[in-house]
Amino acid sequence: MSNLIAENKEVLRAYIKDNTFKEADLIQDNTLLFQEGFFDSMGFVLLVDFLEEKFSIQVSDEDLTEENFESVNALSRYIESKSNGQ
Amino acid sequence: MTDTKTGFHKEILQIPDIEKYVEQIVNSLRDLTLRVFNRQGAVVGISGGIDSSVSFALAVRAFGPERVLGIMLPEKDSSPDSKRLALELAQKFGVRTLTEDITGALQGFGCYERRDEAVKRVFPEYDPKIYTMKIGIKSAPNSKLPPIFSVVIVDQQGNEFTKKLPAKDYLQIVASSNFKQRTRMAMLYYHAECMRYAVIGTPNKHEVEQGFFVKYGDSGTDIMPISHLYKTQVYQFARHLGIPQEIIDRTPTSDTYSAEQTQEEFFFQMPFKMMDLLWYGFENNYDIGEISKVLEIPEDEILNIFSNFRRKKETTEFLRMPALKVIDDH
Repeated sequence: MSNLIAENKEVLRAYIKDNTFKEADLIQDNTLLFQEGFFDSMGFVLLVDFLEEKFSIQVSDEDLTEENFESVNALSRYIESKSNGQ
Repeated sequence: MTDTKTGFHKEILQIPDIEKYVEQIVNSLRDLTLRVFNRQGAVVGISGGIDSSVSFALAVRAFGPERVLGIMLPEKDSSPDSKRLALELAQKFGVRTLTEDITGALQGFGCYERRDEAVKRVFPEYDPKIYTMKIGIKSAPNSKLPPIFSVVIVDQQGNEFTKKLPAKDYLQIVASSNFKQRTRMAMLYYHAECMRYAVIGTPNKHEVEQGFFVKYGDSGTDIMPISHLYKTQVYQFARHLGIPQEIIDRTPTSDTYSAEQTQEEFFFQMPFKMMDLLWYGFENNYDIGEISKVLEIPEDEILNIFSNFRRKKETTEFLRMPALKVIDDH
């Protein structure tokens, strides 16, 4: 795993911990963040805002899928693909 | 213990002896108002919608037309149909009405200005003299992700333009619009206190349990006579109580934003009849396979819908709570 990916995952885990008041050890890279109730509708909107600001990406409507958002792993892959201009 | 739950079927929400049930609600409404609140009558905000019309008709049955006051509370974004239908309703039941236009109060709060400021951050070209606006909700079918909010502006030709809403702007639009329900609540209490009447609330079961109301706004009332009724049952009540047909046939709207918007589009995301049956199945723990067979909806889709119901119920719990004491002094 590259340093950048590891760093991004760390940033994501810290954001989730600070904004959901969940114990750090509950936030694994493959934890299903929505199925397990980490985020509601407002939490989802705030997460999108955070990604756009922190990683300087534009999240389009078409990007709002489980494939991109369901876990830290998914989010990390999504950020990487957006940063690479895909 | 024997399981007495009946099989799931499409007519499960039909009330068999409606007159008996109406009488039970009316007696309870009268008894609670007199005994608990020590009030002699009722104030009801009437909007020409089905829920307020049924609540109003129940109040008339409970207290008599001379001890009910129907109040219309329009503002500049209200549909003109609302007032016309509310008047028709009050005339039919022989009840006195008052109109309190709350536009001036809302301007005083900066309701429109604060809302439009947030819309303009997303659509700089937005001008409320040219465009109307509403909040959109977009949810992907069969997705476990919550819906995402957007703002929609509509030009004079009816063309719609939509953009995803950042959290800050969404929150400001909702908080500004909530002045409407809270102003209505304040006005209803003004008249109720002047007359020593109770304020009758109009939310139905879905609105209460899924959190489709404004805390200390439309939920700020003394008694809610239809808060346990599914929408299908509200319609059954409406037909039984003699609500004007035009009100029964009218599509329920949010009547909150300047652009027209149905409640289904704004919040519930599915037709009422379907939602009623699914919610009934959900809260009574019916077998997913049985529900799927009766409603002809795939099981995985029902599981997703139930997961959304659960999320809405949990995330809106704070709206239904009274102010909490930090330390219990008992």
